[in-house]
Amino acid sequence: MKKNKTKPLLLALYGMDERTHKTMAMYLKGPYKGKAIIVDEFEAEVDLIDADYIKAKDILEQRKQKTPERPIILLSLEKLSIEGTLYVKKPIQTEDLAKALKLANNQLNLKSAKPPKAFSEQSAAVISEQEKVLDPIATEKQQPATKNIDKDEIKKTSKHRTAKDLTEGHFSSYIGHVEGVDFSDPEQVINASFNPKEFFLGFVQSALRVSKEKGRILQLNSGWKPLVFFPLTQEIWLDANEKQLRAFAGLQIKNNSSSGMNLVAADTVSSNCNRKMEGFYEADHFLWMLAVWTSKGRYPNTININEPVFLKQWPNFTRLLVTPHAMRIAALLVMQPRTAMSVANALKIKPQYVFVFISAANAVGLLSQVKRQADELISPADEVKPSKTKGLLGRILGRLRG
Amino acid sequence: MSQYKIIFTGPVGAGKTTAINSISDVAPVKTDAAASDMTKSRKAATTVAMDYGIMNLDDGEKIHLYGTPGQERFDFMWDILTVGGIGLVLLLDNTRADPFQDMQFFLDSFSGFISDTSVAIGVTQMDLSSKPSINDYHEQLKAMDLKPAVFSVDARVKNDVSLLVQALLFSLDPGLED
Repeated sequence: MKKNKTKPLLLALYGMDERTHKTMAMYLKGPYKGKAIIVDEFEAEVDLIDADYIKAKDILEQRKQKTPERPIILLSLEKLSIEGTLYVKKPIQTEDLAKALKLANNQLNLKSAKPPKAFSEQSAAVISEQEKVLDPIATEKQQPATKNIDKDEIKKTSKHRTAKDLTEGHFSSYIGHVEGVDFSDPEQVINASFNPKEFFLGFVQSALRVSKEKGRILQLNSGWKPLVFFPLTQEIWLDANEKQLRAFAGLQIKNNSSSGMNLVAADTVSSNCNRKMEGFYEADHFLWMLAVWTSKGRYPNTININEPVFLKQWPNFTRLLVTPHAMRIAALLVMQPRTAMSVANALKIKPQYVFVFISAANAVGLLSQVKRQADELISPADEVKPSKTKGLLGRILGRLRG
Repeated sequence: MSQYKIIFTGPVGAGKTTAINSISDVAPVKTDAAASDMTKSRKAATTVAMDYGIMNLDDGEKIHLYGTPGQERFDFMWDILTVGGIGLVLLLDNTRADPFQDMQFFLDSFSGFISDTSVAIGVTQMDLSSKPSINDYHEQLKAMDLKPAVFSVDARVKNDVSLLVQALLFSLDPGLED
């Protein structure tokens, strides 16, 4: 069909949501000066497909079958070279799309006077109901593609907690007190360490490691409540409430046969895990809170307190127990290695908060210690350089926490 | 008074509107008013909906929360949006076909803005699809020499969105006081 200069090009959109339709309409009316308009697939002369849409391949095949003469423009993040199609790279530059539309228009003009094979009533009639479902038309709102949906996952209750808003006194009560350590004495603070292997934490870490290495579901018996490890999903199951776990976390356990600890394969266990979804914890979440309650303001003796530490990455705070100042400490240790005392000085906070944090981060493998050679190269200042918008950022923070 | 903004971006369905709604003091509105500031050619599209919310601070200052249109692929819109921006919140939908490609795309598109400010990444729909994991995202980011906060987020939960924005603020200045 020979295009009349005054007649706009008719475009059908595929794999795009309502908002993108509106943006496209805006573009066509504005930068493209009304030389093209959006219509439904039955009237269209050119098909425009978002090739990054999950069903784009199916849509492309269907369009080729139904209207083989119709020019097709593909929009994609990655460079595409598909025979019989035009391509525009995202993010779309106005000139690039205009060029593609012009090429499509030229293709139409080059075709014979025979009208393009439109989507006839006859061809419409042979489309099965199933095909209609699989072929999202342009006017439909794009549904997000889903995969691996596990309904059991949804049943598991979210257990992440926030302790950051607790006052100093309340937090001390929350994590528990350590007999024989006076945290107001700097001498005692620097020596306030604990050995994870002498607590439930160490046994859980060890059992989890074995479960991962063997790829087997294992059960840790402790003389208390059994703990089951699921290596594939990185989950731990325990039928106990937070208060019970907190109390058990603080108990010192002898690492010998009298401790009652043993690890058995789950196939020998009469597990009732499937019936109690609320007993599941993400392994990292479980280790993190166990470490907080084991630490009680001390640091693990596997860390040299005089050497800088750093975070390999931010902890997933929305799914972890957020202890006081944890976000600030994380931000600092992601940027640069520092000793625990340097962090406390820079943020002007008590060392116990830093120790609790590094205990938890260390338990889930996010913390690393800088070696001596690198240590010599790094000498962070005790002061944190404030940003120019510190006042504003502080007010936003206050509002979020308000 | 200056116009301060926090920009929310990400693909369709990632939860930008919901996230803004979670922390906004007003219900998200359409940008009919903002359209009057646009060029004449863009006035034609005043019906285009853009996520927009406001956080009112104690001193009367307002923080504008802007969400980029979901599948917006037109660079001119983003350039306008990021002027005066404090930082970027990138939301990614874990049920999308290739969330890493989405992440790369948005980080590339906003690279200038991110280098001037900072970014925090929220991964949504992890209850429906647990893979890729948060660690997988960090691995990808390491290859890009980036270490932003990456949290699993339920955009409907105010605390999740709040923590993500707090991480953005602390990334900008760890010295901020709790």
